Amino acid sequence: MEKKSMIGAWVTRVYDPEKAAGTLKFTDDLSFGPELLHARAARSTIPCGKIVNIDYSEALKVPGVVKVIVGKNFPIHFGIYLKDRTAMAVEKVRYIGEPVALVVAESEDAAEEGALKVRVEYEEETPVFDAAEAMKENAPLVHPDLGSYEHVSFVTPVPGTNIAQHFKIRRGDIEKGFEEADQVLEESFSCPQIAHAFLEPHACICLQDPVSQEVTIWSTAQSAFTLRELVAKGLELPLYKVRVIAPPIGGGFGGKAGITVEPLCLAAALDPDIKGRPVKLFVPREEVLTTSWVRQGWNTKVKMGVKKDGTISAMKVELVFDTGTSAEYGANPVRSAGYTSMGCYYVPNIWTDSYGVYTNKPFGGAYRGFGLPELMGGLEAVVDAIAYRIGMDPIEFRLKNLLKPGLPTCTGMPMPPHALDKIIKKVAEKIDYHREESPVRKGWKRGKGIALAIKAPAMPADASSSATVEILGDGSVKVLAATMDMGQGAYTAYAQIVSEELGVPMERVKCYYPDTAAQPYDWQTVASRSLWSMGMAIKRACEDARSQLLALYAEYWQCNPEEITIEDGIVKCPKLDKAEPIDEKTQNGFKMPDGKYKGGPIIGRGHFVPPDVVYPDLETGQSEKSVVHFTVGAVGLDIEVDPGTGEIVVNKAVAGYDAGKVISPLNVKCQIEGGTVQGLSAGMFEGIYYDKNGKLLTPDFTDYKIATTMDVPWEIESFCEETPEDPSPYGNRGVGEHSMISPAAALGNALYKAIGIRIHQYPFTRERVYMAIRAAERGEKDFWG
Amino acid sequence: MTKREVHFTLNGRSVTYEVEPRTTLLRALRHHGVTSVKRGCEEGECGTCTVLLDGVPVKSCTVLALEVEGKSVLTAEGLVGKDGKLHPVQQAFVEEGGIQCGFCTPGMVLTTYALLKKTPDPSEDEIRLALAGNLCRCTGYTGIFRSVKRAAELLKDQA
Repeated sequence: MEKKSMIGAWVTRVYDPEKAAGTLKFTDDLSFGPELLHARAARSTIPCGKIVNIDYSEALKVPGVVKVIVGKNFPIHFGIYLKDRTAMAVEKVRYIGEPVALVVAESEDAAEEGALKVRVEYEEETPVFDAAEAMKENAPLVHPDLGSYEHVSFVTPVPGTNIAQHFKIRRGDIEKGFEEADQVLEESFSCPQIAHAFLEPHACICLQDPVSQEVTIWSTAQSAFTLRELVAKGLELPLYKVRVIAPPIGGGFGGKAGITVEPLCLAAALDPDIKGRPVKLFVPREEVLTTSWVRQGWNTKVKMGVKKDGTISAMKVELVFDTGTSAEYGANPVRSAGYTSMGCYYVPNIWTDSYGVYTNKPFGGAYRGFGLPELMGGLEAVVDAIAYRIGMDPIEFRLKNLLKPGLPTCTGMPMPPHALDKIIKKVAEKIDYHREESPVRKGWKRGKGIALAIKAPAMPADASSSATVEILGDGSVKVLAATMDMGQGAYTAYAQIVSEELGVPMERVKCYYPDTAAQPYDWQTVASRSLWSMGMAIKRACEDARSQLLALYAEYWQCNPEEITIEDGIVKCPKLDKAEPIDEKTQNGFKMPDGKYKGGPIIGRGHFVPPDVVYPDLETGQSEKSVVHFTVGAVGLDIEVDPGTGEIVVNKAVAGYDAGKVISPLNVKCQIEGGTVQGLSAGMFEGIYYDKNGKLLTPDFTDYKIATTMDVPWEIESFCEETPEDPSPYGNRGVGEHSMISPAAALGNALYKAIGIRIHQYPFTRERVYMAIRAAERGEKDFWG
Repeated sequence: MTKREVHFTLNGRSVTYEVEPRTTLLRALRHHGVTSVKRGCEEGECGTCTVLLDGVPVKSCTVLALEVEGKSVLTAEGLVGKDGKLHPVQQAFVEEGGIQCGFCTPGMVLTTYALLKKTPDPSEDEIRLALAGNLCRCTGYTGIFRSVKRAAELLKDQA
């Protein structure tokens, strides 16, 4: 009987039983005993200005308050790509909500009460809230010291301006390309900042040993090792003196990657009066938006030139990301959008400028999709619009201009193999794109729309992973692979890999949550990279463990390793008619025929680093291999709109991606469902808004709306194509983020079909859609309000 | 602040907590180690702190601990059998992809449990409405809808 492969098997997810029971402990659920202190920040009440004086004498009088720490006590710059951020404002505040002082107390209540009593005197300066304004000459500078900040080589800030990052693509002859065009269309689309809205707020506990100076951090972190590295560098400690423990996290979506709220908590834990006591920083919901990242606001302008036959001849793309007061992580989605700015199309002549711009607002960083929803939110609308303009069907237009395997992307890198043409046709068929149907609801307007998705893992060229696989004395297996399973299901897929490679039942494989003191290095759980990069490391670790075990058995049984198999935890040599379950010999050593013991605990190790990524040239963006791979896909929506209220209902949603190989079908299905709804929610409801002074108006789930059970399709149809990736453990490539990239763009295209007007501003709220319908009735074709 | 005693039934056993009058049920439960009750917003908006109070789903961040005097409180841990077996509602969430990060799950499970007690065979609209106060950011709710349907089947089989 052919053994059924675990790769691609439909299995339920590890750790789900504990999650269902509520027994899995998240960071906020851990106990630290009576020595635990609590910290709470006092926050800036003005958007921009110099700190003249901080008076915390009243805070110190609150019973239980132990200490108040201010920015100048802890002026270290932290940041993953561009070190432009301190834990608290030092001398200058840059947005309303910026921490100016940290109150440390014996209880959370006391810390909170103390924080309310901190009084700060400011000398106000002129703020700038709008990215386009901030780019103008003579705009007030959010970071006058930008030129002095440390940054990685592939980030290119422009000192003396508010431009924290400028990424360029210069390919072909842009002027000639537009001359060759018979039709040129230029359109822009924009979207405010949006929030991750993970349900678990950030929490962090820090402790420094007063003798060894070693720092331990328990944090809601996606990236234990990157956090360790950034803290160690900031504090000038050797890596081994910083230990990061990352308990399960309640959703991340990029918002818990890199380094987030930890420096604020460290400011207290490292204080000479506090050192030795653990300090906890729990970030209340209303502070999540101001203390950590949001997705950057954006404006995407696309000028496209097309020949009569529908061929794209040139494209000029300008992306402006509103990164708020910090681009420490946000600089990279700016690049990611830039080096993918051709979208899913072959564009012979392309010119792109992608900017990350400082403003006096909370800061933008990594968010699921990482620059691509921002690009595709504009590009996919322009593609539809230009197709209509030349009288071509938008599906046909996309297929004609598709970035087929082997054609160069905007960086010059040849597009790797994929089945996007097949996916587009399938999605169109499943929503019956070409059939005009009457609305299901009386008096409503119906429309269908499609949008394509593309994304590469956006990461440093040398982002590596490693893992160990230990076969325990009863044949069960301990896997140390420091991916954060934040719901995407990484540990389930890892258990499937180990089961497949070692021949042990999946139920006997255990993956542990990250702890830098126990586990080998992994860069970060981001970029949809884990099952690809860490998957390589785990597969190699399994091969290593297996060959160790087989070599020992071969000597023990006096046969060749090739004559031994492991199935369902049983080691077999059919030739010698031997079979036994893996037992304590794998732990204690084998007593060999010569009477001597050999072996000992079997630990397989594996590592992986992408071999051949070359950073794009800083002036032209060109690179023979700018990224490791691309995952592509498409979303199709059948929607209808109530012209009386502007309400949108999704009749049907279909999404397909080229996953290379689906390892864990339940997880892939659920990632697509969840991401599609996250994208639809962004498209219909979500925006972070400020008053004219820069004060946040949407600090809670009442004002910051995310989709509820009342707002979503009852089901989402998903499918995957499997064009193998190489190198890859099983041909698989990332799919975690991709489902969020294009639902909002598809919604815009479907809306246009339904109501006959193009809305240029996300999100498509009821009010906006209602107003657009009124404008359409007046004969307008574009709505900017 | 002076503490007062509150007596109630927690997952079937009698307990006495000493709490300040201002302490919410959420904070009191968590302080006593009942951490399945999550604090996602503490503003009554997200539903991650849902408990069943005399069988009715409530957000424990909007209830003062002293208010539960003499009442019965059920949390997700309380649904698990003594043999460690998950309740059919919990099992359904595992089987149908109703769980990702797990942070909303205890609240979702309890709300579903209460719904199915009252309405063993709920319609699509009844499911949507019952769960409307419990936010989930990971699943897009579609896996949760399947889980509720599956839980209804499992409970029917059991009856």
